[in-house]
Amino acid sequence: MAVPYRLKTLTLLAALLLPAIAQAHAILEESTPPAGASVKAGPLDLRLRYNSRIDQGRSRLTLIRPDHAKDTIPIDADGPPDILSAHLTLTPGAYIVRWQVLAVDGHITRGDVPITVTAP
Amino acid sequence: MDLLVDLFGYLSIVVHGLTILSQSMALGGVLFLVLLARPLAPRLGRTGIADGTARIAGYAALGLLLAEAATVALQTAVLVDTVDLTVLDVLHAQFAVAGIVKTAAAVTMAGLLLRLKGQVPALPLLALTAIELAAATLTTHAAARLDNRGWLLAVEGLHQLGAAIWIGGIPCFLLTLARVRDGITFREVGSRFSRMSMAGVACILVSGITMSLLYIGSWQGFYGTAFGVMVGAKIAMFLMLLGLGGMNFLLVERLRTNPLTSINRLRRFAEVEFGIGIAIFFAAASLTSVPPAVDLTQDRVSWHEIVERNIPEWPRLSSPDHDTLALPALQEKLDQEAVATKAKPQVAFVPGSGELPPRNAADIAWSEYNHHWAGLIVGLVGLLALLNRAGVRWARHWPLAFLGLAVFLFFRSDPETWPMGDIGFLDSFRDVEVVQHRFFVLLIVVFAFFEWRVRTAARVNRYAVLVFPLLCAAGGTMLLTHSHAIANVKDQLLIELTHTPLALAGIAAGWARWLEIRLNPRDNPVAWQIASWVWPMCILFCGLLLLGYREA
Repeated sequence: MAVPYRLKTLTLLAALLLPAIAQAHAILEESTPPAGASVKAGPLDLRLRYNSRIDQGRSRLTLIRPDHAKDTIPIDADGPPDILSAHLTLTPGAYIVRWQVLAVDGHITRGDVPITVTAP
Repeated sequence: MDLLVDLFGYLSIVVHGLTILSQSMALGGVLFLVLLARPLAPRLGRTGIADGTARIAGYAALGLLLAEAATVALQTAVLVDTVDLTVLDVLHAQFAVAGIVKTAAAVTMAGLLLRLKGQVPALPLLALTAIELAAATLTTHAAARLDNRGWLLAVEGLHQLGAAIWIGGIPCFLLTLARVRDGITFREVGSRFSRMSMAGVACILVSGITMSLLYIGSWQGFYGTAFGVMVGAKIAMFLMLLGLGGMNFLLVERLRTNPLTSINRLRRFAEVEFGIGIAIFFAAASLTSVPPAVDLTQDRVSWHEIVERNIPEWPRLSSPDHDTLALPALQEKLDQEAVATKAKPQVAFVPGSGELPPRNAADIAWSEYNHHWAGLIVGLVGLLALLNRAGVRWARHWPLAFLGLAVFLFFRSDPETWPMGDIGFLDSFRDVEVVQHRFFVLLIVVFAFFEWRVRTAARVNRYAVLVFPLLCAAGGTMLLTHSHAIANVKDQLLIELTHTPLALAGIAAGWARWLEIRLNPRDNPVAWQIASWVWPMCILFCGLLLLGYREA
């Protein structure tokens, strides 16, 4: 698989410093929309709730589009300490919301929320 | 650089364990100095105990400085690269501020202790201890909790204080026992350290029970989650420590009536207490990487699933074909697709990419076969060691069987890597699990070589005999930090439920052998006899556990 060197390095770096996703320290307790859900195309309110206090300014949401292109999703600045929220506008296709959070105790964890967007 | 960073992923729990160990030794040393070495100075005379204690605590503070700085630096590197933050942005995060405060307190403490030695004033040392503890609690689970945060921060601090007083103070206690010569002083030192230890145990008990109630919450959380299982391992080791500490307490009391009582056992038990304490610190480090049980409401393992998985079955003694494993099969499919499309073939799995490798029934059968043959070899070692203990002379060659185990594991434990798979030897080190397996193979080879020499050579270096107990205990301790990269959380936990007793048996075997070597059989015949039979039985138990191992 031809993975660009920098991307590969960063992925390795991140993956190896983070605990395995299944055993992550901060876990995603609830997401809106839920993982695997189908939603109508158009504006979408994204809301991820964790079991821990999250450092929102040092966390990241990435949208992986159907063509595998990646965009950073701006995270809402305010909100409860355990929630990451954002607003998106999506066209039909299969997407993945990739989250990486820094819990305030310093643990970094990550995971994916796959969603399918259908025609309105 | 890449390799160093990659390796840190595997070592992060180990580094955290070292942080806890050095912090406990530094703070424990300070408290020993302030509460024991200096108040008893007139009685201790010119033994240099206060200076020696300050040196131990000072070097431990330097160790803490290094471990904490490494942790903050590498976490910062990850965040800078993955979230596009500046270093300054990251250093304003709560964990980084806490880490910087910890390193600053540690370097000040080390400077004071190493420069002023036993004469260092108590007040700044105690203030630095309080700062260190407060900062340390800000990188525990408690800091990120949504509920009961204040209470949990307080009990986390109490827990770490208890560990520092009791376990962290033991090296200084051992130093004192080595330098004191008369029974009355032994009794005074032993009695005061016993009282300090009891205060430490009280801190650990109160905080441990509170945290268990708030972090685990139920019996199912205790046996059905990785967090609960690791807490169970900590409790088991804590009970071992209480047993050893209790026997030492009785010996100190005996000194009251007979100042000529031998303190050989006191010293040896204290050494073992410290060793088991280190294992507890690594278990604690392992705990920080998993979510509290109370948060894991799904994917818990039920009692029925545990029982079902552990019903004995005949061992699997024939291996599935290498080509039927998920990765070789997937690689062959990708290669065929590449030929059809005339494209460059994709690699089925990039070690360390963060993706979990695919697994099928053949992979499970492969792993079970490995564990069962390993169980046969380890069981054979245990039996031969027992025979040797019973007086059968030829059985003394039992360590050689471990070389067979090392060769077997080297070839079989990671079939996707060299020499059986397509992934090169060096590339395979990017996979956390492979690194751990290779480390264990190395441990086994070193262990087998030294112990065979010990059993057969006419003259043996006195340090060579300690290789077996130290490696055995270190292997068991490292096994507590071992993880399996399996996507299914329940399967992962069911595997850990087998590995945790293995780790505990390894730790018990190592320290029992330590006692067999270090106790004087004439002064302590009963303790020596028990120790000399316990370690081969622990190895036999490990073999039986491996033979009963199942992944499905």
